[in-house]
Amino acid sequence: MRRKHSFVYNLVIFILAQLVWLAVLLLWIYWYVSNNIIFEQVGEKIAPQIVYDAPSVFPFVGGIVLLTGLSVSLVLIFRHLNIQIKLNTLYDNFIANVTHELKSPLSSIQLYLETLNSRDVPEEKKKEFYVLMMRDAERLKNLVNSILEIASMDKKKFYKDFEVYKADETIKKIILESAEQFQLKESAIRFSGDAGCDILLDRNSIKTVFDNLVDNSIKYSIAPLEIMIKFKRNTKKTEIEFSDNGIGIPNEEIKKIFQKFHRIYDKDIPNVKGTGLGLYVVREIIKNHKGKIFAFSEGKGKGSKFKIELPIYTEKKKICKGKQKGF
Amino acid sequence: MNDEQLDKSKILLVEDEENLALGLEYNLSEEGYKVTLARDGKEAIKFFDESDFDLIVLDIMLPYFNGFEIAKHIREKHPQMPILMLTARTQVEDRVKGLELGADDYLTKPFHLKELLLRIKGMLKRKSWYQKVVIENPIYRFGINEINFENLKCISGKKGFQLTSYEAMIMKYLIENKDKVVTRKELLENVWNMNPEIETRTVDNFIVRLRKYFEVDPSNPQYIVSVRSAGYMFQV
Repeated sequence: MRRKHSFVYNLVIFILAQLVWLAVLLLWIYWYVSNNIIFEQVGEKIAPQIVYDAPSVFPFVGGIVLLTGLSVSLVLIFRHLNIQIKLNTLYDNFIANVTHELKSPLSSIQLYLETLNSRDVPEEKKKEFYVLMMRDAERLKNLVNSILEIASMDKKKFYKDFEVYKADETIKKIILESAEQFQLKESAIRFSGDAGCDILLDRNSIKTVFDNLVDNSIKYSIAPLEIMIKFKRNTKKTEIEFSDNGIGIPNEEIKKIFQKFHRIYDKDIPNVKGTGLGLYVVREIIKNHKGKIFAFSEGKGKGSKFKIELPIYTEKKKICKGKQKGF
Repeated sequence: MNDEQLDKSKILLVEDEENLALGLEYNLSEEGYKVTLARDGKEAIKFFDESDFDLIVLDIMLPYFNGFEIAKHIREKHPQMPILMLTARTQVEDRVKGLELGADDYLTKPFHLKELLLRIKGMLKRKSWYQKVVIENPIYRFGINEINFENLKCISGKKGFQLTSYEAMIMKYLIENKDKVVTRKELLENVWNMNPEIETRTVDNFIVRLRKYFEVDPSNPQYIVSVRSAGYMFQV
């Protein structure tokens, strides 16, 4: 409610400022025109012999230009302010989500520690608890890492290790690794097509890309998950199509899903956990590879498709490799 | 109901965080409660509709239906069901919303195991106290008002309305102690099971609400009167 209020507040100030500006402009024109008339009429009567030089047009036009400049900058400031307010709301959501994501594993760890401390837990149960606690610790570690990663992305600090890889082979391996990490059966993933080319990759960050995509597919699916990966090759770039049979993305959300902190809130979406950073990170990493990513969905309940385009690495580019590496 | 009977209470645990759910299930079972675990909003509502429970432990951020929606559903069907909300969210609005929709207590994650177990025990005790008193005398009339402590339906003149479980418990407590001064501290300790040093305003807010329900002129109360620097007193 405070947000809404602050938007209305800003809008009112903006409109008032524009009115003030308009008044100043009118006053300026009025002053110039009336002065001009006085000069012309009075000047002629008092000293007709003086060749009267009417006030030059220059300050008049100059004044109007300056005033318009003021108005334009006002508009710009207003626009920036609104973006900032929107970002603030998103950021608040993010904080709430991160708080949740941090607190859940933490409370679980605390619960197990207190249980172990206060109860006589049988040996085999103890082992079970340790495994669960380690999983929670891992989850905390991943979350902290991804937040730190975002911080370095924002500062445009990409000191990654780019190397040449065989496109299909490597990507296939990376996706299977992600699947294993999320305890997804290998049979749930199908590969088709072939890229048959080399690409320049930072393996770790591409792993993050597919980790995030697989994680999303798992989170946003109801029926047994199926992931289809299709490789395609054009003259200059290779295409990797990542599609699933999940609940899809509502049309109006497609444009927003790559925004930082953006999350879809929908009753039918079975999972509500997350930070709103996943796809933002994905897009930033792909951008850093000089590639592009697009999202498609035929609507809710019809699965999602992500198309990743990465430039094909050719021998010619080898010269740039040094540069790319330090990029 | 004595402690032994409390031990057999059936608890519906609604928590979608796998690890936390398992830990809670283990601990509650160790305490002797019969625990049913629901992993999302749909399951929670299904289980609640299908069988009887004595208490609900409810997470807020859940798939399908969130904790607030579930609490509302439970309240519509069973106004007296004790609900303990568990949440990672700490915003005051969430707390207020939870309590308004009928959560009886609220615990933020991460919580201490002992505190959780104590609160559950307290809530179950209160529930059995309340039920015992209600069975003896479910309908209470005073002035133009009538309270049915079983389904929490009230009539004031021609107006009918529904009390929340908290409002009912406060009324019950005040009526039980008719013509005796009840301090805020007493109410907090007995109705809320709360540390009286923290939340004294809560009681006053509830009293204001109750006066609006039952008093002809809420600013000049006849039944729920304030006793200066002591607390409140119910008189007819």
